[in-house]
Amino acid sequence: MREVKLRSPLQFMLVGIVLLYAGGLIIAPIAAIVQGAFGKGLDGLFAALTEPDVIHAFQVTLFLSIIAALVNLVAGVVLAWVLVRHQFPGKRLLSALVDAPFIISPVIIGYVLIVLFGRQGWINIPGIQIAFALPGMLIATIIVSMPFVTREVMPVLANLGPEQEEGAYTLGANRWLTFWRIVLPEIRWSLLYGLALTFARALGEFGAVVVVGGAIQGYSESATVYVFRALNDRNKIGAYGVSIVLALLSVVLLMGMEQFKRRPKTLDVIQEEVQDVDFIGTSN
Amino acid sequence: MSILLEQVTKSYGEQGILENFSLEVNAGELFVLLGSSGSGKSTLLRIIAGLTPLESGRVLLHGNDVTDLAPQKRGIGFVFQNYSLFRHMTVGENISFALDIQHVSRRERAERVTELLELIGMAGLGDRFPSQLSGGQQQRVALARALAHQPQVLLLDEPFGALDAKIRIQLRQNLRMIQQRLKVTTILVTHDQDEAFELADRIGIIERGHLLDIGTPSELYRTPRSRFTASFLGNANLLQGQRRNGKLYVGETELSAAHGPDCHGNQSVDILLRPEEVELAQHPDQLQGQQIGRGIVQDVVFAGAAQRIAIRLLDSDEQLTTLNALLNTSDTAIQGIIPGSQVWVGFKHYHVLPQTPN
Amino acid sequence: MAELSVSTESLKPSVKSGSAVRFQIPYGTWGLRFAALCYLTACVIIPLIVIHVEGFRYGLDVFIQSVTRPAALRAVGLTLWTSALMTVINVIMGTLTAYVLVSYKFPGKAILNTLIDLPFAIPTLVTGVMLVLLYGPQTAIGGFFETQLGIRILFAPPGIVLALLFISYPFVVRTVQPVLMQLDVDQQEVAYTLGASPLRTFRRVILPAIRPAIITGGLLTFARALGEFGSVVIVAGNIPMRTQVASVYIYAQVEAGDMQAASGVSVILLLIAFGITLGVDFLQRRNPTHA
Repeated sequence: MREVKLRSPLQFMLVGIVLLYAGGLIIAPIAAIVQGAFGKGLDGLFAALTEPDVIHAFQVTLFLSIIAALVNLVAGVVLAWVLVRHQFPGKRLLSALVDAPFIISPVIIGYVLIVLFGRQGWINIPGIQIAFALPGMLIATIIVSMPFVTREVMPVLANLGPEQEEGAYTLGANRWLTFWRIVLPEIRWSLLYGLALTFARALGEFGAVVVVGGAIQGYSESATVYVFRALNDRNKIGAYGVSIVLALLSVVLLMGMEQFKRRPKTLDVIQEEVQDVDFIGTSN
Repeated sequence: MSILLEQVTKSYGEQGILENFSLEVNAGELFVLLGSSGSGKSTLLRIIAGLTPLESGRVLLHGNDVTDLAPQKRGIGFVFQNYSLFRHMTVGENISFALDIQHVSRRERAERVTELLELIGMAGLGDRFPSQLSGGQQQRVALARALAHQPQVLLLDEPFGALDAKIRIQLRQNLRMIQQRLKVTTILVTHDQDEAFELADRIGIIERGHLLDIGTPSELYRTPRSRFTASFLGNANLLQGQRRNGKLYVGETELSAAHGPDCHGNQSVDILLRPEEVELAQHPDQLQGQQIGRGIVQDVVFAGAAQRIAIRLLDSDEQLTTLNALLNTSDTAIQGIIPGSQVWVGFKHYHVLPQTPN
Repeated sequence: MAELSVSTESLKPSVKSGSAVRFQIPYGTWGLRFAALCYLTACVIIPLIVIHVEGFRYGLDVFIQSVTRPAALRAVGLTLWTSALMTVINVIMGTLTAYVLVSYKFPGKAILNTLIDLPFAIPTLVTGVMLVLLYGPQTAIGGFFETQLGIRILFAPPGIVLALLFISYPFVVRTVQPVLMQLDVDQQEVAYTLGASPLRTFRRVILPAIRPAIITGGLLTFARALGEFGSVVIVAGNIPMRTQVASVYIYAQVEAGDMQAASGVSVILLLIAFGITLGVDFLQRRNPTHA
């Protein structure tokens, strides 16, 4: 389609409706929370954010997010590689399953982990507490943030085709070298973007970690879980302050990555976009 | 007059600008606008259709000023290069789209679709979807769709651009036949000179937003007004000549007036020699036309019915001038012509280009 | 089967249908494949199996009894209708937003484009907190609606729909936008030259072309909304029979130690969500007009 300047009243009206809707739906709530967090001034906000429980909660969240992002980075690339480059029966079904964590309620994921590792759980490893502890929360975080790296890398890998790798093989490079020197440079932007998405998703995860972690104050309490408790305790500044920090972290991360991804518009990114479009276009 | 553009001005693309562009296309005529990409030809077509607003000037269709009229109300048919068929509609639905908009009755629509499908040689294929058609068929459907509402004017933007050579030639003949039968005033935009020659009643040469030349195909080929036209249409040998005292010289050779137009004044001029007008002979008296000197054969390329021969002229002021000749393979003069051999060069016909300020 | 053939070329890669390179040394390949499958199994397949085994552990009767409790039925019902309402609004506004973004130049367009992605970045729990701050009974807007219009937004269905609208806004826009962008410009212009007005062109030419994307985006949005927890637990609260949606119901049952009730509703939610996903897949594959 071709962009045109606004001319007719109908066009002005359509744009107006959209701007009003987006403004009301998105800007108004953001403005409300900013106002709420600064309700007691910067000092109040600062005091709320430096409480020991808050600091601990952020430590838990960062720990969970960093480990989950790293695990999903490595495993996600392996999964993407296998799903794109290997041929085996059931591949289509497995590809479809990658998206499952997007539509399984996080509460259900937390609940499954309780069933598996809880007090009367299916699996009991003596000496290691998984449910109501950090390991369980980590597993939950890994699962909910699992699809991003795979989903970002798969189309680029598919588009890249095996030709370059084959070329490297004929030149004597082994597979490990080929991956580092040929494949990785091609997928690095999508990999980074997938990593940022994974991290942002992990930062904001609530349902799964609150269920499996049991929300034990000062122990299995992540930042989101802290917000939930603070709201119930009517510790408003604490809730709003931590919320705003969480939102800022993920927004800055994702918007930054977006810029990063846009700027070096190399051929592979363009191809990836073209392919995305094709996918939707031809599947109609 | 059927299509009239008066002083149309519009900037397009990166730097392109149509400035005070005027053009007249006669009723029932098939006019071909020939130009390279970026020449402004497509922009001009879109202006006539009303798809691109112009900055100043007027557009008249059949004497009515349509400058400010929406494309919906201009009564035109437009065929785009990539067909642009509605993919979710069948061939029949595509063709009857305009009639549907005009609330033409179902029966009449069906009749018209049948009629048009026959016209484009696709009878019985009305229930197919565009994705089930070949490129050539899609193109024909696009043409039928543009003709369904009996427009006064048909505009075609590189209609055969996306097709392969063989189908392109078939479709050209098809289009010519349809256009002559319906007598709809047509402008076709292309960059392909063969297409222009084969289809056009008249051709307009457009370059950087200017109409350089206009005329029938043979006029433009034989007596172009600009170097651009001369070399854009067919192959051209352009020689520098001098006018002195009412006579025309190439180097020291005087050209006989019998083979060219009258000359006035003293100045240097461009002389066009078409390759097929060039003669070669072992002896000067074997030349039928004007002799221009000796040359050395540099290259001979066999091209089926004809051979292309490159000759470097000797004994001329411009010693490095290379002439291209096109000789029939059956021509006896071609015997013994191999690279390196010396030949006498002449020509049967030449054309002196009018001098332009630039 | 290239990897089964033992030949003199066993050290060279053999290519099968131009898509996958296979070496005769299978260890790396199988190791990689095994690792990938383990990862997928642990993250997706095991949870799915566990839920279903747990749900039907005490037989079908107990399962049916657990999902037909009034509170469970109400929770699933509330989830379904609020998600459906959100989907309808979102499909209309999302399509309009995509259309406006693709078709027009206007001031603030770049900002709007960025704005649309924000809900994707903001944690859903934070979304809930924001909406409480904006529409809570003590706030200006919430107070106005409650006292003047008698409409309660927070801890009521309107709040749920608002929260779902917020978190789902990017999905329809970003599904429809690329399809609109690659839509042939000429098709629109052809329709103009054939006499169709802009509105008619939208209805007859553009809408049919983007309809599959709209349906896909809408259904996926709906499937996602069914499981939403973070934002809804805050705006809707946790009042059984009134504002408790399905995911909050599951949460409450787990907290209360009633595992049977939790797994029953979980199975129902998953079945609906996967049913929809399969439907989308089916829609995408079945299409006579596009080759």
